[in-house]
Amino acid sequence: MAREFTIGIGGAAGDGLDKSGDTLAKSVSRRGLHVCAYNSYQSVIRGGHIWLRVRISEQKVYSHGDRLHLLIALNQDSVERHAPEVEPGGAVLYNSDRFSCDASLLGDGVVPLPLPVKEITKDLGRLLPIMQNTVALGAVVFLARLDFDSMAGVLADTFKHKGQAVIDQNVKILQAGFDYAKERFVPLAKEAWNFSGMRRPFATGNELFALGAVAAGCKFYSAYPMTPASSVLHWMASHGERCGLVVKQCEDELAVVNMAIGAGQAGVRAMCATSGGGFALMTEAIGMAGMIETPVVVVEVQRGGPSTGIPTKTEQGDLNQVYGASQGDFPRVIIAPTDTTDCYWATVESFNLAEKYQLPVLIISDLLLSEHPETIEPDALRHDVPIERGELVNEWPEGNGPYKRYACTPSGVSPRALPGTAGTEYVSATDEHDEEGFTISDVFTSPPVRRKIMEKRMKKMEGVIRELAPPKLEGPEDAPVTLIGWGSTCGVIREARALLAAQGIQSNHLHIKYIHPFHAEDVTAILKKCKILIGVEVNYSAQFARYLRAETGITVHESILKYDGEPFEPRIIAEEAKRILAGRPINLDVTKEDAREMAYHYVRTHLADADRPAEIELADGNSHGESLWRVQLVDRASGEVRGELKIGVKTGSIYAWEPLTAART
Amino acid sequence: MATTAMPPAAPKKVNRVGLEPADYKGNRSTLCAGCGHNAISERIIEACYELGVEPYRVAKLSGIGCSSKSPAYFLRSSHGFNAVHGRMPSVATGTVLANRAIMALGVSGDGDSASIGIGQFVHLMRRNLPCVYIIEDNGCYGLTKGQFSATADLGSKLKTGVVNDLPPIDTCALAIQLGATYVARSFSGDKKQLLALLEGALVHRGTAMLDVISPCVTFNDHEGSTKSYSYVKDHDEPLSDVSFVPYFEDITVEYEPGTSTEIALPDGSRLVLKKLRTDYDPHSKVEALRLLTESHDKGEIVTGLFYIDTERPNFLDLLNVVDEPLATLPESRVRPPQSALNEVMDSLR
Ligand SMILES: Cc1ncc(C[n+]2csc(CCOP(=O)(O)OP(=O)(O)O)c2C)c(N)n1
Ligand code: SF4
Repeated sequence: MAREFTIGIGGAAGDGLDKSGDTLAKSVSRRGLHVCAYNSYQSVIRGGHIWLRVRISEQKVYSHGDRLHLLIALNQDSVERHAPEVEPGGAVLYNSDRFSCDASLLGDGVVPLPLPVKEITKDLGRLLPIMQNTVALGAVVFLARLDFDSMAGVLADTFKHKGQAVIDQNVKILQAGFDYAKERFVPLAKEAWNFSGMRRPFATGNELFALGAVAAGCKFYSAYPMTPASSVLHWMASHGERCGLVVKQCEDELAVVNMAIGAGQAGVRAMCATSGGGFALMTEAIGMAGMIETPVVVVEVQRGGPSTGIPTKTEQGDLNQVYGASQGDFPRVIIAPTDTTDCYWATVESFNLAEKYQLPVLIISDLLLSEHPETIEPDALRHDVPIERGELVNEWPEGNGPYKRYACTPSGVSPRALPGTAGTEYVSATDEHDEEGFTISDVFTSPPVRRKIMEKRMKKMEGVIRELAPPKLEGPEDAPVTLIGWGSTCGVIREARALLAAQGIQSNHLHIKYIHPFHAEDVTAILKKCKILIGVEVNYSAQFARYLRAETGITVHESILKYDGEPFEPRIIAEEAKRILAGRPINLDVTKEDAREMAYHYVRTHLADADRPAEIELADGNSHGESLWRVQLVDRASGEVRGELKIGVKTGSIYAWEPLTAART
Repeated sequence: MATTAMPPAAPKKVNRVGLEPADYKGNRSTLCAGCGHNAISERIIEACYELGVEPYRVAKLSGIGCSSKSPAYFLRSSHGFNAVHGRMPSVATGTVLANRAIMALGVSGDGDSASIGIGQFVHLMRRNLPCVYIIEDNGCYGLTKGQFSATADLGSKLKTGVVNDLPPIDTCALAIQLGATYVARSFSGDKKQLLALLEGALVHRGTAMLDVISPCVTFNDHEGSTKSYSYVKDHDEPLSDVSFVPYFEDITVEYEPGTSTEIALPDGSRLVLKKLRTDYDPHSKVEALRLLTESHDKGEIVTGLFYIDTERPNFLDLLNVVDEPLATLPESRVRPPQSALNEVMDSLR
């Protein structure tokens, strides 16, 4: 069994937690360990609960997992909410100057580790509040047996622009945290790590979309900020000049996509990225690119919908929208990259397909894939990627006769001349047109001309599908159960299968990357041989299962669905698969943990965050017609019982808040 | 075989790049006979011929509408891009950024620019993107059968008797305020003025916005409409008498001193404004905006060059785009240097 260790950091937005997470991750990735992290954040700039997990392992890991060995709590809230998740043998590290860690919150075999930050750093000058994190990191280095020098090196790089004095101060703080821990605590990690020494890059999907685009020769990027696509814009804005790229922030997504198409039409490799709401505004233009046969790459990074939805949370709920984008039938490609490295290659491939087949390529990602950072193999990203521009007409001698921009060819691909090529002038019209570009929509709409030009355009899809690698079944063919996923869930499904296997349940896995065109024949052939089919999707209505049925006639037996904003973790999928195999119906009741989370929500919205949930018990609903969770709320500071909250087990309705004492003054 | 003796052909009239007027024509117009948009197409043909514009260097960009169809009716051998409704400005921006060697000639309608596309319109003006931006302004949506657009005047009447009760958007005032650097209004029926303003616009190096009142004979040319031929003729108040003198023609225009202003354009051509209104300074934004507001209150339709600024950097200058068109960079230069990519990878570790 490979060694692994997961550290959680909980705090408020503005506590600088993501920086600390990065420092921690880089300090080990530079020494050759694998890291996969996930930041569960909120749509506020200050305050709001932030929960970051950093999973460190000697072997490649495919998700942030579902274990927790060490919790760094930066506020009371984090202790309360996450201390119960720490595994036996683990610990909770917290700033004891600021709050306490109630031992009743800890599971068996979990120890509280107080850090009196003021005392530890009293000789180190004036501390910024955020430096408490560095003290904690120092302690973590000791507890998890990490490499002190490596972390000091990351701090040195981080503060390089602030000068040696700042670097020295930070390293001293780190040392103080380390020394304090060494004197009083024992390491949680049993053995030393096997550091391979290979420096692994630590990157997010969005960074690799951007890097992939640049490597593929993208010269134009337009965008309007929208979480979780904005970090592509930020990356492009800070690297654009160095990489010779025009980066334009526009007034809205209408402008974004039309500008990219304008650039694509003129002959530049152009890309834009957005999330569901922005993509909705782009749809008309995407059909335009299909109609006028202009290459463009559009990345849709899904977040929880509908409407503004849950901006900082993940979902795979836009499949229907991306598939259904724009009126009419037109050729286009939809690719759902399956992991971080794949974000790079899918982008490279998208530009080639877009230009070779002169069509829009839509990449569908999601917050999890786009924003979670992980280590990637250093040689997994080659720079000299293939650049295939398709059939281009560079000159058109006079004797050639008229140049036909939309020439009807057997492949459907009409050699493309870029505007500015003498002798090839043409009009690209969004109205239906003939081979030469003359519109057929006004004076007389010639039915056969329309039919043939439509067939020509759609013919291109036959060429596209021949280029795409068909999906393969992973795992034993005769396994009793098949998990089917698409896009970002590839890694977590793989790890769920490992959990199942550890419990003696064999399974296999079919993962779809190319949504459209779809390998219907290959998929049908594979699934026909499989036994119980379970779809795994991060949305409410199993959008992909419906699409699969439309394409193959195959219906999954059941779907494992998640739409609460948080990504799947391996155990959730494994447990649900077991439930399905046992023939148990799905249970959508409010669980005890749910009731506790709902109580936190109530405390925030009604009780000024002054209380916290304590005892929770199930009770008869009497007049409510359903059972209730009775959640006792206690004062955060004194622990004094404040009253009881009644939550419907079926509906999740908060029926009553019954205070015991008079309202606080 | 019998041959018939042909009279020797008269020498063809050609311009400085050796092209005939016919080379600047387009397909036969499918717009209504008498539509103002047709007259504008003719002026564009004349202007490009006279200036000796090379058609293959021009990209005609438009949205959707009768006006947006008109690029099919001029410059047959130029590239065209009919985008979707209201999106010409962003398509034009993308095109110009991708290939700075292209002369962008945008043609839009008042519905295309001032209604559905106003967001795009204002942002293009802010950019001062090098392009000519023509609004063929008929105060209505011709292609969808004559409903009011956002430039319809207060009190103007539809054929059906419906009266417009909202104030118009003055696209010239907006353009001036937002940063366009060549802003004029003209009338499709005023051949001389429109031609000169178009020629000036074609050599300008920033956004040249021309709002050309262009009556819709089918839906908005009746009694009670403020965009009809007769109404516009009666209320047209030219600001000056405009002449354009191209750099390659050695012409001196004689005017009595003090009655005219000469404006040097970037390529050495000149615009000569013989003032009908004394004291009007086309370099002043404040004056331009006052003029537009006052004349509007008086119910006059002032035409002419309202504002020009040949100094303000255009969008390409500001973005530091390389001189070579991005669209035609060789493959070796399309990729960033290996060193840049290595730097990026290092920053991730
Ligand atoms: C998104 C969208 N909405 C509506 C239309 C229908 N439509 C086509 S042209 C037009 C108005 C054109 O008016 P204008 O730009 O003033 O041009 P004109 O025809 O008057 O020259 C409308 C509403 C469309 N094509 N697209
Ligand atoms: S409907 Fe009006 S705008 Fe359209 S072509 Fe006819 S006259 Fe011109």
